[in-house]
Amino acid sequence: MNMSFWLRWSWRDLRARWLQVLAISLIIALGTGVFAGLGGQESWRVDSLDTSTERLNMHDFKMELADGSFIDQTDLIAALDGIEGVAALEPRLIVPTLLDASTEDDTVLAQGQLVGVDVSENGPQVDSLYVDQGRIFTSDDAGQNVAMLELQFADINNVEVGTTLRISGDVELETVGIGQSPEYFAVVPPDNSFVFGEANYAVMFVPLSTAQRITDREGLINNVAFILADGADSAAVQAAVEAHMTASFPDTGLDFVTRDDDIGLTMLYSDAKNDQVTWDIVALMFLVGAALGAFNLAGRIVESQRRQIGIGMALGVSRFWIAFRPMLVGVQIAVLGTLLGLLAGIGLSSLFASLFRDILPMPYWETSLYMPGFIQATVLGILLPFAATVLPIWRAVRVSPVDAITTGNLVAKGGGLSWLANHLPLPGKSFMQMPVKNILRSPWRSLLTVLGISMAIILMTAFIGFLDSFVATLDRAEDAYLYENGDRMIVTLDRFYPETNGEIAAIRDLAAEDGSPLFAQLEIGLMLGGRLIDGDEDIDTLIELHDMDQAIWRPKLLAGELPTASDEPGIILSEKAADDLGVAVGDLVTLEHPRREGLLSFRLVQTELPVIGIHNNPVRALSYMDLSATNLVGLNDVTNLLVAKPAEGAQPDTIKLALMNQPGVASVQEIAEISESFEVIMDLFVTILQVVRIIVLFMAFLIAFNTTSINVDERVREISTMFAFGLPVRTVTRMQIFENLIIGVLGTALGLVLGWFALNAMLVARVEDQLAEFKFIVEISPETLIVSMVLGVLVVAITPLLSIRKMTRLNIPDMLRVME
Amino acid sequence: MIRLENISKRYVMGDVQVAALDGVSLEVDKGEFVVVLGPSGSGKTTLLNIIGALDVPTEGHVQINGGNMTLTNKVNRFKFRRETVSFIFQTFNLFPSLTALENVQFVLDMQPADKTKKEKRNGQANRARAIEVLTDVGLGERVNHFPHELSGGEQQRVAIARALATGNPVLLADEPTGELDFRTGIQILELLKRQAEAGKTVLVVTHNREISRIADRVIELSSGKIVSDGAPRGGKAEIADLQW
Repeated sequence: MNMSFWLRWSWRDLRARWLQVLAISLIIALGTGVFAGLGGQESWRVDSLDTSTERLNMHDFKMELADGSFIDQTDLIAALDGIEGVAALEPRLIVPTLLDASTEDDTVLAQGQLVGVDVSENGPQVDSLYVDQGRIFTSDDAGQNVAMLELQFADINNVEVGTTLRISGDVELETVGIGQSPEYFAVVPPDNSFVFGEANYAVMFVPLSTAQRITDREGLINNVAFILADGADSAAVQAAVEAHMTASFPDTGLDFVTRDDDIGLTMLYSDAKNDQVTWDIVALMFLVGAALGAFNLAGRIVESQRRQIGIGMALGVSRFWIAFRPMLVGVQIAVLGTLLGLLAGIGLSSLFASLFRDILPMPYWETSLYMPGFIQATVLGILLPFAATVLPIWRAVRVSPVDAITTGNLVAKGGGLSWLANHLPLPGKSFMQMPVKNILRSPWRSLLTVLGISMAIILMTAFIGFLDSFVATLDRAEDAYLYENGDRMIVTLDRFYPETNGEIAAIRDLAAEDGSPLFAQLEIGLMLGGRLIDGDEDIDTLIELHDMDQAIWRPKLLAGELPTASDEPGIILSEKAADDLGVAVGDLVTLEHPRREGLLSFRLVQTELPVIGIHNNPVRALSYMDLSATNLVGLNDVTNLLVAKPAEGAQPDTIKLALMNQPGVASVQEIAEISESFEVIMDLFVTILQVVRIIVLFMAFLIAFNTTSINVDERVREISTMFAFGLPVRTVTRMQIFENLIIGVLGTALGLVLGWFALNAMLVARVEDQLAEFKFIVEISPETLIVSMVLGVLVVAITPLLSIRKMTRLNIPDMLRVME
Repeated sequence: MIRLENISKRYVMGDVQVAALDGVSLEVDKGEFVVVLGPSGSGKTTLLNIIGALDVPTEGHVQINGGNMTLTNKVNRFKFRRETVSFIFQTFNLFPSLTALENVQFVLDMQPADKTKKEKRNGQANRARAIEVLTDVGLGERVNHFPHELSGGEQQRVAIARALATGNPVLLADEPTGELDFRTGIQILELLKRQAEAGKTVLVVTHNREISRIADRVIELSSGKIVSDGAPRGGKAEIADLQW
């Protein structure tokens, strides 16, 4: 056989069905593109972190002096001079401060820190500053009241270059730049309440001499960042530094923090890895969906050549050449799919990369196309169309040569499930019954069509359901926090204070400038860390104790009842904690908690407590008890947690400012901010999933459209017969719409059921490994159901409308003479 | 009944213009049994398609029952096919998902409610009529069989029943025996002949000269032109005399 002959024939095949080939190729391209785009996020983030830390000369370790300790910087440099293995060191002065960056339009109050750095020679040389807006420091800035504000805080709080920053001591600093330092890619406040530090904790870089002057610590530093020389051993260098420090400053306590100990940096690296698990699931589901959709459609194209394959057999064509032509359909799809996949991969990678850049803090990004993922997906994209051709070819070569060359009435054709139609009481006229009978006559083809539609719906349901579940979880968290007195504020104290202590009284008595009280109610509470234990299971918990009889806010319960002061002590668990521990209301659970034994000493003890309620907050760690249980922990009449309900007319910013100036106050947050902070956690997922949703919609439409388009092609002879008998186009279209409607309903129903299972499988896989701290609400929103049904039923049903032009241009005589 | 004036049909195939019909004129009266004879490519099927309003001529006029089909639009051509002509195809073109009964009932169900030439029928009446017609063509016992359960002759008889059920005055049959053996072919021809005797105009297109012997009139085409038009050569024969 002549190869060019087959290629010519294949080219004609392509011209005849280029739209379908293109659509299948696009489906494969989207699958491979998303797979490559999402598959690379860990590598992007890790590479970008590596690049960013390297280009900004991030320290290998830093030395922190004990709280309240300061050393003369000249003495320090002299003491550390000549230590082998140190390539560079950078003395800094880091001090806590309060920030007021309010403008006429916006109030911005936050706790934070001043980081005094050497600005000579475009310094600092270690933990250099990346300038996002404004300008870099110069040596002329030394001693000037200028600052560079950390980018994420500035972005979230809309602070711009030029804004005047007011800090503790009533000092004003001009914001000359907004930028980043590798040390603060993830902002971790000193109390390690690192979640959302970017929004609430302001890091301000200032010239070292400026920091020293305004904090009245001329010439002093309290922190040194080190970069190791190539090949130097970190532990050995630290030991040498410690030895030099001990020799020069024997009374100064110090601590070393390596990169591995850096909570923020570690979190960024581990998040990249953990998030990849989710994206892998999403990408794999997407690829499998695309694969099955493409497999189905490619198979149906080849199926339509089945008879010609059989004729080839009858003519004695070798099996190789018999398989060659349908295989060429696979080649067309594979080649086009790979080319489009490359474009889609680059495009989607670029899109996802830009989303990551917006959300994640690194200044330098390495987001080239993730080749391992792309190659894996492309191999599948190439193999898939070939695999799809195998079954039709196998079916075709089973036709005996006699049957293959027979035409007309002698063609052996089964009636499928037609017999079933005779037992069904179908209403309406015969031509409106025909769609049902068509479906039953070709159960295999109908099944493939239903599967094609359902694949689109599975994708839709699973992915958008994934997004819905995130949103539902956020909504649940919001409801848990805000359902009652949503304007309350949470004040944490820096230690336990007796309730009657002056600090507490001072807070309670805070008043506005006009003398009116700031709080309508101030509630005393306790907050303790602990561990819940049940058999082999144990989970960390944060227990809040409130006076449930008169609390400003009480947990909303899914089961059980709120305790009262007169009740025996019991604990209210989160739904997730109860599930993980396998306990329900009425069961006993062991709480390991600190118990005060002396004035300042605590001991861990275990107490068995009944579970008296299950609350609705999706955060697993949160547990609640009545304040009357304080004797369990030996903390009667002391507090470290205040819940404040603002007085009518009192502005939250005014209250915050007033509270932050109070001794003993560690943090102040509006409860709404905590609720919003959950959205920050999920922001990355929600943003990416929004993009994936659009791609899924497009792919689902492609699958649905192509499936029905192939259907119309397969019916062309019957349609022509109807036209020959004068059945109007509108009636034929109505029949097709009705048939598609049935197929669409079946496909959608199957898709929704399987999509639900797929969604659960995705979430279970994700939750079990990566989001164990949250109770995920698996939900498919009404909107998703409507969109799925619109796509699966309406779009599929109306697709024949797109074929009206094609039908009206049918060459009826030609179609009627086509042999079976 | 049927009047064709100077009908031409030309196709452009690449750079070449091919004339399927070239200045064909003819008239066919009600109740005539006409065989259009000719070798492959002579234009006989094109002629049938133009008469049946499946195709439109490049030139000329087609008048059927007094209406000019050349000037009419697509909607009217659909209406014409629904109400005036009925087709019988070489390959039957039955709907495979419908039983014999349903294939026939299909064309009855699609008749518009306001059709004046017969009374409005409901589903039961259409079903009864379909059974009646199938019984007429000898398939009273096979009404609930699907096409794939029927022999070729039976399938063609269903196709004829379908055409007859419409009650349309013109039957157009394109090689109706082409797929069938001699004995079955004869049965089909008998059926068609009976329709002409009952007053329908029947046009049968075939390349089988033997079939033309039973026609009232034989129109012979060659290269798109009528080369003869008249009674069968050697006189009209009875169906029993046919052999091929």
